[in-house]
Parts: sequence; C-alpha cells; structure tokens
Amino acid sequence: MLTALIRRRARLLLGGALLIVAVLAVAVVAFGGQADVVVYNGRSQYGDEAAFTAFEQDMGKRLELRGGTAPELFERLRSEGSDTPADLLVTTDLANLWRAKTAGLLEPVRSTTLARQVPEPYRDPDGAWYGLSLRIRTPMRSTERVEAGSVKSYEDLGDPRWKGRLCLRTSGNEYNQSLVADMLAKRGPERTRALLESWMANEPRILGSDVDVLDAIAGDRCDVGLTNHYYLARELEDDPSFPVAPEWPDQDGAGAHTNLSGAGLVKGTEHRDDALALLEHLTAPAAQRTIAANGEFAVNADLPPAEHIREWANVELDPIDVEQAGRLLPDAVELMQEVGWS
Amino acid sequence: MVLAASRPSAPAPRVRRPAGWTVVGVLVALLVAGPLLVLPASFVTDAGAFDQIAADLLPEALRASAVLALGVGAGTLALGGGLAALVSFYDFPGRRWLDWALVLPLAMPAYVLVFVLLGQYDADSLAQRAARDGLGVQLPEVRSTGGAILVLTLVLYPYVYVLGRSAFLEQSRDTFEAARSLGLTHARAIVRLGLPLARPALAAGVALAVMEALADFGAVNLLNYRAMTDAIYRVWYGAFDRAAALQLATVLVSLTVALVLLERMLRGRARYHGALARGEAVVPRRLRGPRAWLAAAGPVLLLGLVLVGPLAQLAVWSVQSLGGGATGSDLLRAALTSLGLAGVAALLVVAAATVVVYGRRTQPSRIGSATARLQTLGYAVPGTVVAVAVYIPLAWLDRRIDGLLGTGLLLTGSVIGLVLAYVVRFQALAFFAVESRMARLDPALDDAAQSLGADRNRVLSDVHLPLLWPGIVTAALLVFVEVMKELPATALLRPLGSDTLAVAVWEATKDSRFDTAALPALLIVAVSLFPVVALIRLSRAGAPLEVRAPGG
Repeated sequence: MLTALIRRRARLLLGGALLIVAVLAVAVVAFGGQADVVVYNGRSQYGDEAAFTAFEQDMGKRLELRGGTAPELFERLRSEGSDTPADLLVTTDLANLWRAKTAGLLEPVRSTTLARQVPEPYRDPDGAWYGLSLRIRTPMRSTERVEAGSVKSYEDLGDPRWKGRLCLRTSGNEYNQSLVADMLAKRGPERTRALLESWMANEPRILGSDVDVLDAIAGDRCDVGLTNHYYLARELEDDPSFPVAPEWPDQDGAGAHTNLSGAGLVKGTEHRDDALALLEHLTAPAAQRTIAANGEFAVNADLPPAEHIREWANVELDPIDVEQAGRLLPDAVELMQEVGWS
Repeated sequence: MVLAASRPSAPAPRVRRPAGWTVVGVLVALLVAGPLLVLPASFVTDAGAFDQIAADLLPEALRASAVLALGVGAGTLALGGGLAALVSFYDFPGRRWLDWALVLPLAMPAYVLVFVLLGQYDADSLAQRAARDGLGVQLPEVRSTGGAILVLTLVLYPYVYVLGRSAFLEQSRDTFEAARSLGLTHARAIVRLGLPLARPALAAGVALAVMEALADFGAVNLLNYRAMTDAIYRVWYGAFDRAAALQLATVLVSLTVALVLLERMLRGRARYHGALARGEAVVPRRLRGPRAWLAAAGPVLLLGLVLVGPLAQLAVWSVQSLGGGATGSDLLRAALTSLGLAGVAALLVVAAATVVVYGRRTQPSRIGSATARLQTLGYAVPGTVVAVAVYIPLAWLDRRIDGLLGTGLLLTGSVIGLVLAYVVRFQALAFFAVESRMARLDPALDDAAQSLGADRNRVLSDVHLPLLWPGIVTAALLVFVEVMKELPATALLRPLGSDTLAVAVWEATKDSRFDTAALPALLIVAVSLFPVVALIRLSRAGAPLEVRAPGG
C-alpha cells in the first residue's frame, strides 16, 4: 500500500533509508571496537588516564575505557550479566566494589605481584577487588576565621557554634552515603542518627560538589565543611595560599574515615591475563605515582603523598569497614533522608 | 508484511474500513510506547518493592515536581506567548533580528546554563561580591525552587515562542481587519482573537516545556532541587532498588498524564481550521517613543542573560582550559558521535511521527488516538528511566539473537539501543510539531482530493507532505537539538568508548570543574545553533502555501 508514496518519493525514501543503515553500520563497527581489555572506569574524572595509556604503551595492548559513575557502571554490569564486554571494573568507592562482589559479578584473582603491591587491609580477603588509592573524607576549616584544632571529630561539626556556617555536599553523593554507612557500622544507628541530627541542627548549606564546599569556605559563606582530602590538595597545588586547611578527625581514636578507590576483574572475563596485567600495572609504583599526583594517597605503601601535601602522610586513618558498610548503604540513604539532609 | 497485506485493491475512498495507514500508525505508536510498559509492569512483578525509602521520598518529590511543572508552565506561557505576540503584532527597533534571536536559547541546555550561573554567581564571584559589598544585599540563591523554575523557564520558553509565533504568522490579516472594523482596538484584537486562535499551538508549546521540565535531570540535579527525577535516581543508585525506581517513574508519568488531560479538558472541543489558507499575515503595529525602546529592551536583556553572558563565560573558561592543555582529539570524537547520533535519531523519529499522525488522519479512531497519546509519554519520562525501559526488552532480545547467531550484544552493546531510547524519548516532540501542523489543514482538503480520485497514499504524498513539510523539518530540527543536549539516557546507554559532548560536560560538571566542562558545552551550543537557525529560517519562510517539498 506504500506504492504510490514509494513511486513518488522513491529517491528520497531510499536515500533516507540507506543513510540510516550506513550510519548505523559504521557506528556498530566503529564503536563495537576490538579492545584487548575493556574497563568500566569510574575513575574517568581524576586525570589519571595516563596510568592507563602507559599500560597500552608498555604492553602493546589496546584498552577501551568506558566512563560513568560507579553505581551506573555496577547497574550496567548487573544487567549485562554474562554477556558483558567488561573485563575490569574500576570504582571510586569501595561500597560499589563490595556490592559487585556480593552480586557475584567479580572474579577473584591472586598474584604475588598484587599481594606485594597492595597491603592486606586494602584488598579483598578473597581477591575479588584490590585498592588503587586512599581518600580521606575529613572536616575542613577556613584558615582565616577558624583556629586549627577547632574540629577534632566528625561530632564536632555538630557543635552549635557552626550554626549557619557549615557546608555539606548533597546526600545523593556516594562518598557521603559511604561515610554514613560506615558510621552506622561503627557507631550504631542511635549515635549516627544523633550525629547527623546535630549536623542538620546547624542548618548546613548543601552544595553540589566537594569543590563547591571548599570554594564556599574560601569565599566566607561557610567556616567549616566536609570533603575528600584530595580536592583540597588540588586547590593547594594551584594556589598554595588557598585559605582552607584539613581538620583531621578522631586522631586520638579511630582515625579519619578513609574510602578506597579500587578495581576487580569482572566474572567471566575473556581477557583474564590482560586484565590481571592491567590490575598489576595500576598498583605498581609508576601508575601509583600518577594516581597520587592528583592528591590521593597511593595504596602502594612505598609511595608517599604528593610533594606539596607530604605532611599529611602521618594522618591516622580509619579504613571503611566495607563488609558492614556495604550492607548498611540502603539504611544510610534512608537515614539521611529522615534527618532532612537534602 | 502488514503493509502489503492491507493494500487496498482499488481507490475506494468512500468506504469506511480499517485503513492500512491507520493500522501502521497504531503499530508504530505501540512500538514506541511499548518499552514504557515496563513501568507499570514493575508494580506487578515486584509488588512489595515500594518500600520505606520510596515512600519517604515520594511526597516531597511529588510536591517539588508539581510546583516545578506549574511554575515552568506559567512561566513559559507568559514569556514565550508574550514574546511571540509582541514580535508578531508590534513593530519596534530591532524586531527583525529579535524575531529569530529569541529562538536561540533553544540551543542552550538547562544544565549548561545552571553550571554557568553557579560558577558565576554561587561561588565567591564578582557579581556576588559586588552585590554584597556595593549594595549590601545578598543575591538570592540559585539553588532554590524559584531558581529551578527560573532557569528551566529561561531555556524552555522557546518551545512556546516558536509554536506561538508560527501560529500568529498564519493568522490572516482579513480576520484582524474584520475585528478592527467591528470596533476592537489592536490590543483588544490580539487578546480576543489572536491569542485564542493560537491556543492549540500555545498549549502544545507549554505541554512540551512542562514535560521537558518534569523529565529534566541535569539541571535539577545540579541545583539540588529534589524533584521526582532526583528521587528516582536516588532510589536507584543510592539504594539500588530498580523496581522501586521504576514505580516512582510510573508515578511521575501519571502526573504528566494528568497534566496533559487537564490541558485537553481546558481546551475543550475547540478546533480551529481554515485560518491557515487565507490571505496575508497580520501587519504589526508600529510602536513609537519610549514604548518602542521598552519593547526592544526586554528581549535584549533576556538574551543577554540566557545566551550572550553564559557564552562569554564559557569562552573565557574554554580559553583557560586550553591553556591547561585539553585533549582535542577526544573532544572531536565526542563531537562527531554527538552529531551522528542526533542526525540518525532525528530521521527515525520524524518518520515514525509522520506515520502515526497520518494514520490518525486517514481514519480517526479511539484506538488511534489512544496509542498516539501513549507514544508521546516517553517525553515525560526521565532519560534514565527511558534508558532502562528500552534496555530490558532489548537485552532479552539480545540474548535470544545471541543464542541463535552468536552475535554477542548486538543491540544493547551498540548505538541501536541508544537510538531507540531517543526515539521513545523524543517522539512526542516530532509528533506535536507534525500534528499541530496537520490539525491546521482543513479536512475538506482530504475530501476534495479523494473525491477527485486520489487514494490515501496520494493524499499523503501529494497533498499532505508538501503542506506538512515545514512541520516535518521543524520536528527533525527539534529532535536533533534535543539529542545533542540529551544527557542521562546517553550516559547510561552509550556504547563502549564513545562519549558525547553532553557526557563530557556532565562528568566535568559533577566535580565543579567548570573550565574543563566549558569547551564541550560551548561546542554543544555552537552545533545546536545551526539547526535552531535553520528552524528559524523555516518559520520565517512565512506563507506556508509557498513552501514546497523538494521535488514536490
């Protein structure tokens, strides 16, 4: 019944159809790709692609990096199941690796190289994931208006003296969710709720990113805030006089909440050897130096923090209890909602 | 195939029986709407999933989304409708270029405007400091309900403006002169005659703007405005409860359906035909003195705020980031990916929309109307949800095909899944553009053609397509621009190794690295400006009867 239309507009229709098919075909070929290792890379925003490209040059392998937030990548991995093209999952947050492991999406591996390069607390006992870098979520203060030592714990951010002067990132952020989940694991629900309520009582300004929080402190819209340490390291690298300093919490006690960025082999990977080689490469000193250059702490114990933040090396760390925190993550999201952390 | 099977044996236009075009139209509509059935189905498959988190989030999110919808609806109607009327019925200095310049904000993605505003204004910026120290006032927060409504109104008003403007252009001078001769002033004639006649177009524009606002994720997320899209994302990626997220999405879609029905009810049974075909356009009245300058100043100020200022800021940031050594080849690849995706999606969406519109036209039926409505719902569904709604059936198909042919992830691992998501998401845009054009073609045209012996295919190819052409091209351009800007579905379904410009902007913006985000953002706006300019030229081609399809 399309005959009349086709007769009259044959060229147009044919041209359109051909164009669509051609573009789709080219796209399928071009994007289908033939990579040796496919990485679902949650670390696409940390300027350490150099660590990956170095692997391509050293080993003569082709990598395909696919960006996205860790939760999105996890969700994608889960839906793709055994058909996934991914070989290695890299995340910025340990909870997501734990979740992937629990969902049976990761393939445990062991190697003497990995065991040597990654200290025991920073890898999964079963070898499902290995840490790549350490990231401290710590209170920050204005160096212009707040004396050093004013905030000695996470609890101190709930001190009424910070009313209207506290800056936080949104509760939708995975670092905050992991922090609260870890608090739930270590402090229990009552103390964690009381802690969050004391923060909310200070009517915090809720901002969109850690950088916003630091800028707000520098710009006199807040006096104290809570961010990952390397964001400040980056600011200080650009401008050594940036008027914000870390207030390391719980230094006489548990230490500062420390999350890990890490990676694990994807279950059923068809490039197991290459993926393992990449994992070993990422935890070796050269790549670790690249990762540490943006202010994160290397997981490889041989490497000190970047030059301009070397004094932060002695901070007492409290690595996330990932088994418990991973399980409590939904509770954390709910609790933050209930106390009104927007 | 259905197409061949339903071929009429002879042109017998007077006999009413299920027309092939109607069947095809319904099938296409069902295909587009189909994936969305995943949403209500989630209530059946995971009945107990609507748990505490979702229940806690829902009331606040629902309220926030409703407020946003009302605010943006009223805002775009006032701003877009007002500007369209101003430019159509009055003459003032700068009118000629303001006429097309006012459409340009369509090229500005809401999330780009937000991050520019946040960067300029929220941080300890010059503007903020000047206001605080100089005037002693604190500028209002961008991160607020008012801020969200304002930003979305500023980037979405062109939908109302474009559709309103082309409706005003087609109003005939004769009608207006008749009104004037009956004693109405120019202003009264606009209110009593011009606006009511343009109501279908204005309503369609507002409907698009509101749906877009309800489905917005990027701007809302950056503003930390806790609307439904934010709640869906939180439940999904914070609590990893996909079923609950789909159920929240169902609630959001219901809200949109309610709004669309409300609009239909308010519009009543009014139909406007015939205004299209007759005579020349209304002659705008010349404004003089301060009123003329005031009329020019408003639009100029608006464009400065929405377009010129942000573009200048983006350019400054881009230069700074180039100093820092940005990677050009990645950006070029992203730009090409964006362009290719937008082009393919535009072609497919427009073809699908035209078929559905024509199917309804040849034989109006309940089922035709219902499916046509259904397929436009995708526009109100956040990209994140569309992505999954498309993904679930495709993944199922993929496994079947893989089992048969061993092709691996043919559909979900390539651009096919993403392009389908665009079709589901933006079908409404094309449908409204083509349909509002079709609605203004007098049904007498069809009857005349058929009484002269033309069958339905000839009516479509020889009568409708040439007349619809502006609507079709408008639809294609709108979809092209939307795909350029689309973020959440692209981020989720993009095939391996292919970032688009929007994704590049987003990933940098999330960390407030505005200077890195600036260059791809600038490229999005720049590339989107071309189709927008084409769109404008098209609408300015004026008298629609002079526009012919190529070769037609």
